[in-house]
Amino acid sequence: MSRIRNNYENSFRARFLRYIMGEDELPEKNYMSDFRKQIDIEKEEDEKATEHYLVPPLEDPMSDAKRYAEMSGLRWFRRLYSVMAVLLCIAISALLIYNVTFMPRFGASDSPMNNEVTERYLEKAGEETGTVNVVTGLILQYRGFDTFGETHVLFIATIAVMILLKIKKKDKPEEAAGEPVGGDVILRTIARVLVPMIFLFGFYVLVNGHLSPGGGFSGGAVIGAGLILHSAAFGFSATARFFDEKIYDIIKVGSLVLYSMLIIYYLFTGANDIDSVVPLGKLGNIISSGLILPINILVGAEVACTMYAFYSLFRKGGI
Amino acid sequence: MSGWILFGIVAVLIICGLAVTAIAAFGLFKFRYALNRMHAAAMADTLGIMLILCGLIFATGIRFESLKLGLIIILLWCAGPVSSHLLAGFEVATSSKFQENCASDTDEGKDGKEE
Repeated sequence: MSRIRNNYENSFRARFLRYIMGEDELPEKNYMSDFRKQIDIEKEEDEKATEHYLVPPLEDPMSDAKRYAEMSGLRWFRRLYSVMAVLLCIAISALLIYNVTFMPRFGASDSPMNNEVTERYLEKAGEETGTVNVVTGLILQYRGFDTFGETHVLFIATIAVMILLKIKKKDKPEEAAGEPVGGDVILRTIARVLVPMIFLFGFYVLVNGHLSPGGGFSGGAVIGAGLILHSAAFGFSATARFFDEKIYDIIKVGSLVLYSMLIIYYLFTGANDIDSVVPLGKLGNIISSGLILPINILVGAEVACTMYAFYSLFRKGGI
Repeated sequence: MSGWILFGIVAVLIICGLAVTAIAAFGLFKFRYALNRMHAAAMADTLGIMLILCGLIFATGIRFESLKLGLIIILLWCAGPVSSHLLAGFEVATSSKFQENCASDTDEGKDGKEE
């Protein structure tokens, strides 16, 4: 970047100055010569391809190019195009910024968001679901059916990718040859430091889902990223020592089945107005909020498995 | 008075960070070859983000949040250069134009012409 150039007359500034002073044409003339060359090459290829058909020779190959070169309208169109693009961008951003002025102030009490629905959730979520982080109480309990469907979508997506990309055992190339060797030294050194921390942070986000921002989906994504980093740095065989296909199947299917059972229990008790046997516990404790903590962990396991399975299936066609 | 000094430090740090990021973005579009562009982009990854986050640390003061911001700096300084290193490695390993783009300094002139 800091190399000294010998030809300052070719720099952008010099060319711009020359253009201002009228000493030079625009650099667009290069496009025309490129275009001519391209046409020549294409004509040659055409002639080669049609030699044995005994067709009469085509017209003068330069005629098209000459006609285009004389069209100065093309150059003007290019200039107009860039000017119009900038103007359009400015107009759109001005419109958007103008729209922002109509929005209510951040945190204003009379904004349309703060209606009775939000109020109801904020007031009652603590005592009804036992969560400090109301968002988790919302997505896992008030709208638990929705999250249940989302988790199934993840499962089905993994199955679809497996159908497309999984390689059969007998078709596999030899393990030693097909297995990508681990990354280089720098990556391995950093991964040795970062992977345990990523796992720890992911688990923290997972089990604190009902107390602080986070929950099953984000914590699972962090753990999945940690798994991907581990296998990228140390190779798939290293990851398979603690996370091979058998364990993957058990975790993936087991967590979904357990989650289904828990959510069915939730829906059954909720619909029939029966009191749940699981106590909600004290608000703010780590072991509290009834079934939300186990459901968070199960969702996290599902998401982590999905992420790692995608990476591994796309990279080597198996887990 | 001390509040104004603090504000000045924060403002200078954040403006420096924004300037570095802007220069990196400019270089990203200015340079022609992948490795040169990565060289420019790496500044935003490390120096720009560090300056901006340092500004935020000064703005929050000594609190738990500033410790978290410091941890973010450490994470990004670990992760950014390593990913740049891997990308550059792939570029060197797979690019067919590597030799002609990384030729000696004497044959200039390519640099200016094709842009």
